[in-house]
Amino acid sequence: MKNCKCSHQTSDLSLISNVLDEYKNKPGSLITVLQKAQEIYGYLPTDVIYHIAQEMDTTPAEVMGVATFYTQFRLKPVGKYLIMLCQGTACHVNGSERIESAICQRLGISDGDTTDDGMFSLKNVACLGCCSLSPVMMINGETYGSLTPQKAIEIIDGIYAKEAGK
Amino acid sequence: MRIVVGEGSCGIAAGAHKVYEAVEKLNSGIELGITGCIGMCFLEPIVDIYDREELVLRLVRVKESDAQTIVQAVKSGDLTQLSGLAITEDDKSFLDKQTRIALRNCGIIDPTDIDQYINAGGYKALEKVLSMTPQAVIDEIKVSGLAGRGGAGFPTWFKWNAARESNGEPKYLICNADEGDPGAFMDRAVIESDPHNLIEGMLIGAYAIGAAEMVVYVRAEYPLAIVRLEKAIEQARAKGYLGKNILGTGFCCDMRIKAGAGAFVCGEETALIESLEGKRGMPRLKPPFPAQCGYNDQPSNINNVETFANVAWIIQNGGEKFAAMGTKDSKGTKVFALTGKIKRGGLVEVPMGMTIRDIIYDIGGGIRGDRKCKAVQLGGPSGGCVPYDKFDTVIDYKALAATGAIMGSGGMVVMDDTTCMVGMAKFFLDFTAKESCGKCVHCRIGTKRLLEILDRITKGEGKDGDIELLEELCDGVKSGALCGLGQTAPNPVLSTIRYFRDEYEAHIKEKRCPVGECRDLLTYTIEKEKCRGCTLCAKKCPVNAISGQVKAPHEIDRDVCIKCGQCVTLCRFGAITVR
Amino acid sequence: MDKITVTINGKACQGNRNDTILNIAAANGIVIPTLCHHYNVKRYGACGICVVEAENSPKLMRACSTVATDGAVYYTESERVVKVRKIALELLMSDHEGDCKGPCSLNCPAGTDCQGYVKAIAQGDNRHAVEIIKEKIPLPASIGRVCPHPCETACRRAHVEEPISIAFLKYYAADKVLASNSPVLPKPKPASGKTVGIIGGGPGGLTAAYFLALAGHAVTVYDAMPQMGGMLRYGIPEYRLPKSVLDKEIAEIRSAGVKMENNIKIGTDITLAQLRDRHDAVVVAIGAWKNMGLGCEGEDLDGVMGGIEFLRKIALGLPTGIGKSVAVVGGGNTAMDACRTAVRAGAEKVYVIYRRTRDEMPAEDIEIDEATEEGVVFKFLTNPDCIIGENGKVTKVRLQVMELGEPDASGRRSPVPVEGEFETLSVDSVICAIGQKVNVSGFEELELNKRGIISADERTFATSLPGVFAVGDATNRGASIAIAAIGEANKAAMVIDGYLCGMDIPYRKPYVSERDTDDIDFTRFEKSARVKMPVRPAQQRKHDFKEVNLGFSDADAVAEAKRCLECGCHDYKDCKLIKYANMYELDPDRFAGEKHTCYVERKLEVIERNQGKCILCNLCVRECREVAGKGILGLVDRGFKTVIRPEFRDSSVISGCADCLACVDACPTGALKFIGNKK
Repeated sequence: MKNCKCSHQTSDLSLISNVLDEYKNKPGSLITVLQKAQEIYGYLPTDVIYHIAQEMDTTPAEVMGVATFYTQFRLKPVGKYLIMLCQGTACHVNGSERIESAICQRLGISDGDTTDDGMFSLKNVACLGCCSLSPVMMINGETYGSLTPQKAIEIIDGIYAKEAGK
Repeated sequence: MRIVVGEGSCGIAAGAHKVYEAVEKLNSGIELGITGCIGMCFLEPIVDIYDREELVLRLVRVKESDAQTIVQAVKSGDLTQLSGLAITEDDKSFLDKQTRIALRNCGIIDPTDIDQYINAGGYKALEKVLSMTPQAVIDEIKVSGLAGRGGAGFPTWFKWNAARESNGEPKYLICNADEGDPGAFMDRAVIESDPHNLIEGMLIGAYAIGAAEMVVYVRAEYPLAIVRLEKAIEQARAKGYLGKNILGTGFCCDMRIKAGAGAFVCGEETALIESLEGKRGMPRLKPPFPAQCGYNDQPSNINNVETFANVAWIIQNGGEKFAAMGTKDSKGTKVFALTGKIKRGGLVEVPMGMTIRDIIYDIGGGIRGDRKCKAVQLGGPSGGCVPYDKFDTVIDYKALAATGAIMGSGGMVVMDDTTCMVGMAKFFLDFTAKESCGKCVHCRIGTKRLLEILDRITKGEGKDGDIELLEELCDGVKSGALCGLGQTAPNPVLSTIRYFRDEYEAHIKEKRCPVGECRDLLTYTIEKEKCRGCTLCAKKCPVNAISGQVKAPHEIDRDVCIKCGQCVTLCRFGAITVR
Repeated sequence: MDKITVTINGKACQGNRNDTILNIAAANGIVIPTLCHHYNVKRYGACGICVVEAENSPKLMRACSTVATDGAVYYTESERVVKVRKIALELLMSDHEGDCKGPCSLNCPAGTDCQGYVKAIAQGDNRHAVEIIKEKIPLPASIGRVCPHPCETACRRAHVEEPISIAFLKYYAADKVLASNSPVLPKPKPASGKTVGIIGGGPGGLTAAYFLALAGHAVTVYDAMPQMGGMLRYGIPEYRLPKSVLDKEIAEIRSAGVKMENNIKIGTDITLAQLRDRHDAVVVAIGAWKNMGLGCEGEDLDGVMGGIEFLRKIALGLPTGIGKSVAVVGGGNTAMDACRTAVRAGAEKVYVIYRRTRDEMPAEDIEIDEATEEGVVFKFLTNPDCIIGENGKVTKVRLQVMELGEPDASGRRSPVPVEGEFETLSVDSVICAIGQKVNVSGFEELELNKRGIISADERTFATSLPGVFAVGDATNRGASIAIAAIGEANKAAMVIDGYLCGMDIPYRKPYVSERDTDDIDFTRFEKSARVKMPVRPAQQRKHDFKEVNLGFSDADAVAEAKRCLECGCHDYKDCKLIKYANMYELDPDRFAGEKHTCYVERKLEVIERNQGKCILCNLCVRECREVAGKGILGLVDRGFKTVIRPEFRDSSVISGCADCLACVDACPTGALKFIGNKK
């Protein structure tokens, strides 16, 4: 089983050797390992999943099952800017659906997708916990509250303008 | 004097840390600190000015640019300069009617400093417990009447006792901090603002059941909570409250954090255990219950954060005192996350027995824009709504259940007369359908079908008999689903049908959304006679759906329009109609 | 071992302590349905089908995994249990994308397992093919020749190029077995002591007789004609169905224990009342033997006759008096039989008068083509206006010229007369093949419907007289095709068998899962032309009554049978899902919504997986992990999107499959299929 014939990706597997060394003998740490792997690679490349399965003495099916169960894990790279749009109850009541429509229309993508230029990814999230600022979105850790559709578009356009100016 | 910035997630999101940095940059020599969340989310960022231990002034909605003024005022000792930023008397009343036990230290002490917790009486309860027998601890909790604050309201002492009596070593004590209700954030606030209170509560539980290992399963979306708890664990270990031979009594117990990875169902205790074991978070069959066969197939006890946050207080003040608060069946206090169309949204802790009306109007200050209140949603996706005419219902497990809602984890979302109740039910079903683990048929396909039926109703494609079909399917899903998620998923549908059947009927029979929220049932039109061609709407339309010459009537391209309502809000001539 | 006692459905049941409710019930002969439970893997509890109710417990419990409590009282079929179980099944079916049976079988009035016998023929096992056919049709060689094959109309191969030649394959296989002189004859059940009288020895009567005889009843068929076979003998010409073939098949039915009495006419030779006295049950299968009249002037003239009357005379060898020039009126298969028989009976000029155009003709294309080849002249868009005679004998027929007007209720454009336009043909005879009626004389006691046809219940086949049943052309909707009568007779036989055993079990159409043909991508199939049936040349065949078709060669038959797309599910007979779906009367359409697509993958060496049929019981995953110790199958995604993946992208992992087939064996539906044979 050592010689993986996986030809789809060639990730640098040495990057996670420390993580694997630390956790491979700790039962039940698959989720933690995947979290660390995602921190390293930005997402979970297929060859990394396969490598983790080998090292953790489990099967790729098992790892894939876990990786696709939890919303935190991504199997595809994300854009430079990750928009996390809150879909919590408070945000919903205050119109998050309209914000989503506006963003989707502006970027030409839907939830979970990345723009062709690799700039933006959109992800609906359950609740960012800033209910009093609703509706809220978070872009790369920065929170934007009390959104309107127009304000959301302006924020995105602002980022595009900043990128163009670089 | 001391400047303390409120740095809960909510405050930070509103800019609190920028304020902190701005103050720090001024290098004024004034003592600068942080605290957690006081619960007044609507006023964030909040900066408190202390004179020794006394809070002398609370500044609200502080901006980065206010730093200079604040520092100057504090330096000069003349705080009157800050009156523009000071909290109003009216807003102060937000705290007046609350009784804070679980949240007692939140927004007051610095959560990153164990000494502040100890100075506030922390870890005294643990010391006391270590001289008691485990049975005596459980008895004290029994006297208090403390029930699980995560939703189901199961008596805490009973679970502890079952785990204690269960054979098998080691035993585990697990804290469920996978707060999944999209509208509740009290667990996060406790961990971020008073992590030692959680650690102490858990240690007492661990001692009572005989556990040597504690795990806190924290929601992945709570990075700050994880950082603060990690730090607190280190500090507690250093002080001998955690680890081997705690306080020299021979009691050994350590704690670790497990970060969840995003799955609402992991709030269900058996799914949480699966997830702790590194698997897909799919619930197990019960029985056996975790008390017999839980994490690693060992006896395990699981409580949520708020439950543990009450424990140290109970031990310190006695179960009797806790039980003196509340109603016959529900003792102590309950924390609610008050959100939605409310003036003063935030975290509130009230004694059991308070009416919903008091919470919304006295504490929450009423409805935003003084609109008509329609209902509150309690218990999030597992709960139900309580209509306005039932607002005299008191906070009590049984009384709330009788309305069709549940106590739940404490999400309290206020809805006004612009909220479509069918849309609300659809929102929750969309959530549960996405969060269903996919294991059992009733939940996996049932919630999906419920969502599809609701979806067609909100699109004006509802059919005669759809309400009855929903009710029948809800009934089937409740009875047939494997775990709590599926068994409660139909609640929002059933309770909205129960109280707002007329709204369902209007969507189905008249193809009309009574509050005008369901976008598929709306069309936006510019009335030629009223439009002055000011171009404002066209400029501000986020999707450029509006076009027209200056000073000539404009038009909306309906294929592009996303019905966001922006133009209606902006138009000064009332030229845009929505039907 | 420690024993406990529980009460299940009112019955005291003993079991071992710590055993599940399901196991204790099973040990006491009470079956609790379950889809996700299998004895050799750990309990799981996904399907929710096995729920049971316990007294004093508000929640339903899963019997597969709940340990029974000593002294507890359980109900496995209470109203609440059934409701919840039914919803689970309805939900599963609402997300089920697959065909239980092929459209061929579903469109066959007799429900013949066409796919099954076509496959047997493809595998060269003609005997097995006939065994399958004879589960529904006791006259396969005859029906294979004459059936207008609704199966082929529904055949999805038509979306690739042309339908499978299902009927001819049946005739091929049946001929092979007939020639072997070793008939397929199931052993009849032990004698029941009950007797059944069947009136009418046509396809319906003979079918009822055959299946009732196999069920152990003493059956006698009474027929008014000199020989058995009904319309197959007296309505279908020899060149389509040689009497020798029919004779052999009737002999097989006789050898199943059926007594046959000919030349007995009800009302003349014996009365219905007498037959009722003589038998425990009576089946009326008298067909529709009366011609419909033209209703025009001159129809009483000498030389005007009915289509089936003409065919019957030919079959009996009686003179017909059609002369040299014949006009046949009508556009159905009887009209074709009549015109082609007229050619063979020596007519030099044969016309077919039809009010619409060829496109609207109900007759089969092949019949029209072959009639044309044999020189028949089609007069489309004409209708007899009057028949003109001299000395009481037909000499001419005047035709009203028609044109097509607006479509009528049936969607066909209805013919309307073109005012003042007529055409006259000189003819010696006029044969009217425009429809048949039922001759109910002798059956006056039975209740008739508005059209003067015997009324019979559609699900019990019962007439207004107790113990008297009726099937075929003589009932309800009137004359139809032979296979329709066979289908009814087959179902009636089951109902009557129940009746004779004292049970009242009406026929219920089984519930099946069906795919929408529009959802299927046919472009992935390679084209392969339908094998043509070789026929004798027109110039030769038009002069005699010998069979027109020459029959398939073995190679032809196998090649044709291999074209089958195998739409129906391989697991239909063993599928637990469809079994339960039929146990509880379902209405899955009320939950119709998004479905998993019918994605078929063959990533594993010998196992094919069909996404559309997977119910996510997870048994395959658990078998692979717990029994095979491999863990190469797993769940991916969550919620409604959850699917099972046979490994993901690495071929070396897929090859980790040990071909142990534990997953296939445990699969409760047809989602997993062993395809080892195909290689």
